[in-house]
Amino acid sequence: MPPIIEISGLRKTYSRAFRQPHHALDGLDLEVAAGQVHGFLGPNGSGKTTTLRALLGLIRVDGGTMKVFGEEVPHRLPQVVSRIGAVVESPQFFKHFSGRLTLQLLAESAGVSKSRVEEVLEQVGLIEAAKASVKGYSLGMRQRLAVAQALLKQPQLLILDEPANGLDPAGIHHMRELLQWLAHSQGVTVVVSSHLLSEVQQLCDSMTIVSRGRRIVDGKVADIIAGHSSASLSVRFPDAASLPEAVEALTGAESGLTAVVDRGRLVVAGAPEPAWVTKTLADAGIYLSELRTETKNLESVFLELTGTAPVPGRTVQIGQSVEVPPPAAQGGVAVDVEVEEGVQR
Amino acid sequence: MNLFKSELRRILRRRLTLIFGIVMVVGVFAVATVYGFSSSTGPSEDDLAQAQAQADEMNAEFDECVADEEFFDSPEWEWAQEDPSFEGMSQEDRCDMFIGSYDYTAEDFLWTYTFVFAEESLLVLVGIAIVAGLVLMLLSSSAIGAEWSSGGMSNLLVWHPNRMRVWGVKLGAACVVCGAAVLALLALAFGLLYLVAATRGEIGTLDSVWWGDALETLGRTVVLTVGMTVLGASLAMLGRHTAIAGGVIAGYLVVGDMLVGIAGMALKMPFPDRLSLYTWVMAWIEGRMELYDQTSESIDSMPDVMVITATDAGLLLGGIILGFALLATWAFQRRDVT
Repeated sequence: MPPIIEISGLRKTYSRAFRQPHHALDGLDLEVAAGQVHGFLGPNGSGKTTTLRALLGLIRVDGGTMKVFGEEVPHRLPQVVSRIGAVVESPQFFKHFSGRLTLQLLAESAGVSKSRVEEVLEQVGLIEAAKASVKGYSLGMRQRLAVAQALLKQPQLLILDEPANGLDPAGIHHMRELLQWLAHSQGVTVVVSSHLLSEVQQLCDSMTIVSRGRRIVDGKVADIIAGHSSASLSVRFPDAASLPEAVEALTGAESGLTAVVDRGRLVVAGAPEPAWVTKTLADAGIYLSELRTETKNLESVFLELTGTAPVPGRTVQIGQSVEVPPPAAQGGVAVDVEVEEGVQR
Repeated sequence: MNLFKSELRRILRRRLTLIFGIVMVVGVFAVATVYGFSSSTGPSEDDLAQAQAQADEMNAEFDECVADEEFFDSPEWEWAQEDPSFEGMSQEDRCDMFIGSYDYTAEDFLWTYTFVFAEESLLVLVGIAIVAGLVLMLLSSSAIGAEWSSGGMSNLLVWHPNRMRVWGVKLGAACVVCGAAVLALLALAFGLLYLVAATRGEIGTLDSVWWGDALETLGRTVVLTVGMTVLGASLAMLGRHTAIAGGVIAGYLVVGDMLVGIAGMALKMPFPDRLSLYTWVMAWIEGRMELYDQTSESIDSMPDVMVITATDAGLLLGGIILGFALLATWAFQRRDVT
């Protein structure tokens, strides 16, 4: 089945007076398969919202191609827009209108039945607050209204920018179940841009991570995490004085193994297996007190890939993420990245 | 059609529409009430008796003054004695000057105004339409500006990506609402003023000439208000904010026209009034306007005259409105929605 969204070499440059132009999108590629919940991740200013806006025809791009349902957008967007529901950036509405009226006006404009308005209000849990004006809504309620608006058309593609923003834990749980139900039971393709990485890890089937307007990596969430977990081992000893001896024993026994002292423990990478470490150290007369396999979560993979891991005493600035080589230099799905000066990986 | 209906509903459901609607209706009632209170077909018997009493009192005082040579000697007339001409005047002249002419009648103390519908209503109706046009210009600019500032435009474009269609529908809906509102206000004002004239004034002669003239003038005024609506919406679309449109409009009305006038005088150009937009607006409403070049006037010749017809004014005003509308269309089509 062809991808629902195909983006290739997307470019968007903002000219700025007396300053260097800003390349918001610098040859970005993106593919989203049908019937999946796809996470679209990246640091602030990496081009996520710009991509979604471009896809929805809200901004013009300077290069590249975009296809949705196999149709070139934005030229053919009017032909496919009835199949797309979207919320881009923070949900904003006319504050003096009620939630119900807001949805009714949109529904009326596209010939969607009034009964559908009630259905989506029920679906997002806003039926009780539908009569109240939007100005009295909390951020989470506005978020729900925005999702309701996106669901109104019964879309086959749902694009949500930060859907969990402002939601309480119950709301996040409800939203996760709703989106997974839509994708896995109703066949809706869901694209979610989010910074809540634990949420993305639970919610998404696949994902794309971008940095500085380019794709760093894409694939199934589990595969990406597994592919970037180096299966390192954390080893502790009763006596910290054993650390140098342990380093010597391990590196001398296996070429290609790295053992680094970090905060009173030894981090070992490249060992054949944990038992080998235990035996090698015991043979050298060193006895460990703890051995633990370190597995990575999406957050650590994300921080590593985007080069935005916090450094003590230093704040990672907006746009100070990894620079991805141009597409011609990329090989394979996961690509190498260069580290921006001053950011530790 | 669905989009047009929803846009109409969106405008009509706005709080500002309701507020402006109430203000305009109350304004029309207020104007009619003022005319109703100030107009009368003639004095009542009480008014006549009161006026006659005042006239009699004044005449008696005059007679007393003429008869009494020492009338002005009292301290209360000291101010009159200080007048340089007092000494050389006869007693009758003094009375005439400081008390007033003899032979007052009741009419001298009666003030009556009669509203004549045929003579005055057209001016009032045009005034109401112009004020309504200004209000509706703000309403249309707000309808567009609020969409931008509330994020509604972005939402709407996600549903309807054809921007020209969205802009056309929004403009169309604003024009329909504003045109209908002006016509409704004019109908209300016409009815109320007619009622005032029928009950407390005079209707006058409403012949075919009057109707022809009135319909022509009011028709042009309604067209002008629709044009003002387009201008307001276009400015808001260009500035993407109501305040920008309001600022441009208020800025021109308050400062811009004055600056243009000063520039015209500084350049000593003939017919400096032609630089003012008000001149062309008046020419459009009245159908014809003559400007006189006073600098060309001499003992032997009359001043040069510049005639502005409704067609001239329509072309200029229409050109300005069309220019802004096209600029807004271009900007909306080209600029990113961020």
